[in-house]
Amino acid sequence: MKKPLHKHIGHHAKRVHGHLTKYLYERDTIFATLWVFLFIVILGSIPLNLGVINPIKLGLKDFDSNDISYAKLGKAANTPIDKRIVIVNIGQADREGLSMMIDKAASMKPKVMALDVLFYGPRDPYQDSLLTETFRRNKNLIAARKLVPTGKDGDTITFAGNYINTATAYAHVNFFNDEASTIRYFEPFIEDYAEKSYKSFSAAIIEAYDQKAFEKLEKKGHHKVLINYTRHVSQYQVIEYQDLLAGIVDDSALAGKIVLFGYINNDPNDINDKKFTPMNERFAGKSFPDMNGIVVHANIISMALDYNYVKKLPLWANLLIAVLVCWLHMSFFVRYYLESHIWFHLVAKIAQVASAIFFVWLGIYLFDKYRLKVDLKMSLLVIVMAVDVIYFYEAWAVWMHKKFNYRTVFKPHHH
Amino acid sequence: MKKFQFLILLCSFTALASAQNDFLLYSFKGNVSVVENKVESKAKVGRALNSAATIKVAPGSAVTLICNEAAMFTLTKAGTYALNKFGDSCRVSSSSVSANYVKYVWASMTKTGGSAGSNRKAYMNTVGAVSRSINNIWIDPRLDTLNYTGSNTDFPLSWKSYSDAKNFEFSLFSADNIGSPIHTTTVNKLKLPIADFSNKMKPGNSYFWTASVKGEENDELKILNFVSKETFEAVLNTIKTQGASFEAPAEQAYRIAFMLEDAHYLAEAYQYYSKAATLDPANALYRSTLMSFKKDYEIK
Repeated sequence: MKKPLHKHIGHHAKRVHGHLTKYLYERDTIFATLWVFLFIVILGSIPLNLGVINPIKLGLKDFDSNDISYAKLGKAANTPIDKRIVIVNIGQADREGLSMMIDKAASMKPKVMALDVLFYGPRDPYQDSLLTETFRRNKNLIAARKLVPTGKDGDTITFAGNYINTATAYAHVNFFNDEASTIRYFEPFIEDYAEKSYKSFSAAIIEAYDQKAFEKLEKKGHHKVLINYTRHVSQYQVIEYQDLLAGIVDDSALAGKIVLFGYINNDPNDINDKKFTPMNERFAGKSFPDMNGIVVHANIISMALDYNYVKKLPLWANLLIAVLVCWLHMSFFVRYYLESHIWFHLVAKIAQVASAIFFVWLGIYLFDKYRLKVDLKMSLLVIVMAVDVIYFYEAWAVWMHKKFNYRTVFKPHHH
Repeated sequence: MKKFQFLILLCSFTALASAQNDFLLYSFKGNVSVVENKVESKAKVGRALNSAATIKVAPGSAVTLICNEAAMFTLTKAGTYALNKFGDSCRVSSSSVSANYVKYVWASMTKTGGSAGSNRKAYMNTVGAVSRSINNIWIDPRLDTLNYTGSNTDFPLSWKSYSDAKNFEFSLFSADNIGSPIHTTTVNKLKLPIADFSNKMKPGNSYFWTASVKGEENDELKILNFVSKETFEAVLNTIKTQGASFEAPAEQAYRIAFMLEDAHYLAEAYQYYSKAATLDPANALYRSTLMSFKKDYEIK
């Protein structure tokens, strides 16, 4: 008689379970697992940069598997437009133009205005004078400046780019990030040697717009905060400054909102003030920077206003996951190593690929669903290393068996 | 019980029928107007519209809308569109990241990436090399024919350079001899005020001019008509008489400026744009037009 389907599945599940757990509690499996981590520690302690000529390591230096979710899986594609934020594209406007557009926007009663432009020195006196007065007049304007750490330890703070100095509030716009790396974190507050705190551009805007959201951000202290990117540039209302000046913008578009003045362009060849972000269409290898700085700030503001922070799993938890993953894989590999050695390499490779696919999905799923960032790099690494470490462990166990009668499941020359 | 079920069904249908889509006018270009509550008004960026509104798009215009804060679509064809017909455009795909991941992994595993040799269409699209048949100097076509009366000495002739050259050669030719220039000068800026060479010209004559990177040649000649004051006065008077009877001084100045610009009297148009902005400094249109004009023609 033919077996019913559920029994058929149950039978196979039992078999797989048996493959996974047969050697799970063996001393050799546990020791081999420890050996994997010992190897990682030893290799990591070599004071040489062995990745210097490794193209894979260099290529994946800035890689995060969660980036795939933006580039290929449509994450953030349907995020609603953020109606609290309006970006005015300043294009190539000069200081007179900036003055005019700020005044025009101010007449529409926005709650906060912020200008993402640095002014390094005098230009045309007439234009400088206009902008100076505009800065003085609009008390809800936050102007940009560049924070320059100086001194031996970089804890003496000076500023640049704030030549027009009549604004009520200034905040630094620069991110502490390698120019060619992806901007994943921002520091809402920076402290100098005297423990004086300086707010970042986004933090200053959040404070002016929503005190509660700012208090929440303040609780994060002087630590790096992971940016939860949720919107591309088209998911913010972008207004061309010419449209604003020509009066074809509805008053309600700006009233009571955050108005960010910054440079926006969609030309991939124009990389002026463009940054690499996790939303880049190419998630690995060479690429163009993809997002204008003002949109990065807008994403930070949206995240803070929505209390939409990413939770990071602590290091010990990531390590614990890696240990469990390694232990399970080791048990599975040891079983094939001893009982079906002819299939060992094939099964191990398939298991490695399947595990890599599964753990990348798990990371993406947790990040997408629960905003929980789990660092599964260590888990993937131990799966890769487990196969090679078995050989080392076997040699060591057999030697120990001969010398000290160490009890082991490995036999000399069993294959 | 059956009546109760029918009531629930009826309520559900009513709720479904009354479910309205909200639209946001994200951007537009050209002539676009909105009809809401039987009142037609010009479109404005950032305006919220309900599904009872109608959009009118003139030929050559386009409008981009966002439905329910998420679905963006653009209307580029001229016509009148009732927004309640755009229910389909309001739908956003609801596939999950996990489902997309499975599709992505499967597609990556089953499709070959292709190689440069096997897929010409996909790979033969690099720039290849720089183009060298083009001129290193670009002169705005708006300066192609310029009528000048000598009244505004600030107005410059300007050009753009594609090279990193520091010195440029300006040449002025008489209309009857384009073989040898009547005046040449070397400048280190991308412009030259007409006043610097106006003494080489006589009213009522036409001239050609060009600019080139020093040491190179530029065959592209532009026309500069040195118009007599009498001719210009006649043109100006004609323009002045075309205004409405109730025209304010600033409005008149702006209209004259616009018409002079159209008639290629750019230096004179600049004076009138400045006048309009001075007479009505609160008018953003006058100020922005003056600003754009100055930017376009490199006037400081």
